[in-house]
This record gives sequence, C-alpha cells and structure tokens, in this order.
Amino acid sequence: MKKLLKSKWFIALIVLLVLAAFAILSLLPGSPIKNLLKPVQLVTTPAQSLVKSAGDTITDFWSAITDGIAIREENKALKEQIADLRYQLTQSEEAALRYEELKDALHIKDTFSNYVIYGASILSRESDEWFSTIRLNAGAADGIALSEGNSYPVLDVEMNLVGRVIETSDTESRVLPLLHEGFAVAGKVNEVNGVTFMVVGDAELKRQGLCLAKDIDPDVHLEPGMEIVTSGDGGLFPEGIPIGVIETVDYSNPLEVTATIRPYSQIGKLEDVFIMIPYVEETEETDVTVPGV
Amino acid sequence: MRIVNETTNARIRKIVVYAVYIILLTSLQVSFPDTFSLFGQTADITFVFVVLSGYFNGFWDGAIVGFVCGMIRDVFSPPAVLGLDGEVRVTAFIGVFTLFAAGILGASFFTKRMHRNIPFSIVAVIFATFCYKVAGYLVIFGWSSMAGTTSTIYEPFTALVYSFLPQLLLNTLAAIPLIFFLRFLGPVSFRGRSKKDEIIEKQGEGTWLGI
Repeated sequence: MKKLLKSKWFIALIVLLVLAAFAILSLLPGSPIKNLLKPVQLVTTPAQSLVKSAGDTITDFWSAITDGIAIREENKALKEQIADLRYQLTQSEEAALRYEELKDALHIKDTFSNYVIYGASILSRESDEWFSTIRLNAGAADGIALSEGNSYPVLDVEMNLVGRVIETSDTESRVLPLLHEGFAVAGKVNEVNGVTFMVVGDAELKRQGLCLAKDIDPDVHLEPGMEIVTSGDGGLFPEGIPIGVIETVDYSNPLEVTATIRPYSQIGKLEDVFIMIPYVEETEETDVTVPGV
Repeated sequence: MRIVNETTNARIRKIVVYAVYIILLTSLQVSFPDTFSLFGQTADITFVFVVLSGYFNGFWDGAIVGFVCGMIRDVFSPPAVLGLDGEVRVTAFIGVFTLFAAGILGASFFTKRMHRNIPFSIVAVIFATFCYKVAGYLVIFGWSSMAGTTSTIYEPFTALVYSFLPQLLLNTLAAIPLIFFLRFLGPVSFRGRSKKDEIIEKQGEGTWLGI
C-alpha cells in the first residue's frame, strides 16, 4: 500500500480523477469550484496584459515602418475627405435639427433606446478549436452583473453581433462567440415581415468563418446576399442587430432547409466591443402607512 | 557544500525559466492566436511546450508544468459546454486536466528507450496531438449523446482533413523553436553532460521533491 501511494502513476491517476470531478462539478449552476482559479487569475491577468501590450507595440512599430508610403498617400486622401466631410457636416447639422423635431412629433423610438451600452476591450481570445471563449475587461464592478439564465448581447463598433456574455466575475466577462457550436439566436431577413429562423454556430462551418441558419420555412425564398438581423424572439436579443449576409442556401431537403451566413463581425480583428444591457427604470417604493394601526 | 549550491542554483534556474516561458507562451497563445493559425486551426504552443517539457525533463516537470499551464488556460480561455440542462456554461479545470495529461504523456513516450533525443521529440508532439484530438472528439460525442443534443462535430473524413492534419502540421512547426528553447535555453542545463537520465534525476524530477 505504501509503495502504491508513492507511485507517481498512482498520484497522477488520483489527480486526473479529481480534476475530472472538478470539471463536471463546474458545470453545475452557481458552482463554487471556479473560485479556486481566482488566485491564478489575479496573478496572470496583469502579466498577460503586459505581454499583449508589448506585442501590440511591436506590431504597431512594424506597421509604421512597412506602411509608411501607404500612410502618406492615405493621409493626403484623408485631408481631401475631411474638407468634403466638413461641408457635409454643416449641411447635416440642419437636417439633424429637423429630424429631432420630427422624431418628437412622431414618437419614433431609437432602435436600442431601452439598452445601456457598455464598452469593453478584449483581454484574451480563443486558444484553440475547443478552448474558445473570449474574455473582456468589464465585469460586475462595471455594472455588468449576470443572473442565472440571463445573457447580454455583445456587439462590435459597427453594432454587428459578436456573441453573448455567458459569465461575469467582478472585473471580467466571458463571451460565447457567434461561431461557437453552443450559440443560438433567432434571426430574420432584414425586411418588413422578414421570415424568422434560428441562427446557430456549427463546428464544420466555424473553420470557414460561417454560421448556420436552420428551421427555415421551405415555402420561403431565401437567396445569397440577403441581410440577416436578430428577430427579437426569445427576449435576450433586441430586434434588428445585424448578424451577416446569406452566403448559400440549401433547398435539397424540403424538410430541412438550411443556409450559411457570413457574419459581419470579424472576431479575430476586434479589439473593443460593446455590451448591451436592458435598461431597467428604477421605481421608487413608497411605504404605505395605514392610519390608526 | 558545492553540491548544495549547484542544486540550489538548478532549482532557482528551473523555477525562473519555467515561469518566464509559461507566462510568455500562455499569453501569446490567447493574445495573438491569428499569428499561429492556418486552415481555421491554431498552433497550440502551450500544449506543445508541456509535452516537450515532459519529454526532455521528466515526469514531474511535465506534470507540474502541465498543471500550471492548464490553470492559466482555464482562466484565459476556458471552453464553454452545453450543460445537461441545455444552458451553455463556462467550465473550469478541463484545461488543467488536458495539459496535465499531456505532460505525463510526453514524459512517458519512449523517453528512456530513445534517450530523450531531439528528433524523436517531434514524434512525441505528433503522437500527443493525435491523442488530444481523438480524445477531444470522443468526449464531445459522448457528452452530446448524454446531454441529448444534436452533435455538430465533424464527420470522420472532414475531421481528418480540416482538424487533425492542420493541427498536426501547426503543432509540429511550433515544436521546432520550442525544442531549441527547451534544450539550449531551458530550465535544465544539459551542457557538458552525457547521461541525460542522470541529469533529470539530479536536476529534473528530483528537484521538484525538494521544493
């Protein structure tokens, strides 16, 4: 027995069994097992930020050298563009004033006016095919608190869908990207009364940077190039967030019409994202006192 | 007295060099994954480093480096898995499990028979990557069946062409500079020594037991 306890293979086996048990326990809702990794997070996050910023500096420096001529030409073109835009701006200011007047008059609602939008930077990306969540530098301390069964949409700077927040800690959030196999959102063609279907991540399409549209009504005609947006069904995502464009449609099986969608957001190139949190109006609670009691 | 100093220096060197490599590689892996990507797959430099640490420096090196790298991986980019209740959840300790096993596998892959020679370390990386991929697909398939969800994993041929082969190629390429770093700028000094397993006994496996 003593010999067995000293055997490195026996120790390794016990460690592997304990780790497997921890991994399964971490899937339970509200599992405290994840807290065991908090000290590691405290130590490694600053170190990783340092390596990332050093890498960014080297990349920027290299770009500055290689892109020198292109930047000069771009600068010249941009100066001309600025002059053009200044002229357009003065014209637009007047149009904006008119729009505000009309908006008030017609009670037009901004598309996402019921949402508070938080900015965040990407700390780390997916490390391989399976270790594929994205980490953001905003958490519960920044107002992004997530209750069980809830989730928030994550958008890029052009307001295209990137994924959804699935876990938050005090200082960080984890995002399930749009291409992940576990991702699902109700989508529709971006037109009045557009047909709705499910947009999901798919392991085979992921490597091509595509996602899958399924549960499509076979009587509906879809074609490549159509824009897909969120339909708002399900309640997690508001209606109208751009997802991408249809690349191919497969009508070969009338009972299972599918389409591939090329998302607008290029997750690999993103640095900053936005988290949309539904705005909840705080109602003042008033104590009602009954006289004579 | 001299022997004591030698051992202490070896320990300090080992801890410092491993710490630098682990922080650097795990950070690079998640900060610039596109730099190491091809055909939709990313070279797993952390995984390769762990396998090579085990291969060159012994069982406990592989196990401990794998454990630490795995914890960092679980912090930086843990996998999200569909739970039995149908909710997608972020997991913990799958990275530790994977890399701990990879370190042990690297340390036991014909290391004594092949005298931990450099060319055979490439074979160790290829074998470990293959095992990782096969185990990964089996676990996903088994879990999907258990959770009662439609599994969206690759068909076997597609998996071979678009997942296994690119990953094997990328990991093999990543192994070349890492072998150089581990052998010549590594945590264990092999300079002027001939019997490699003796060095590992003195500076490798035995050292951890004294820490």
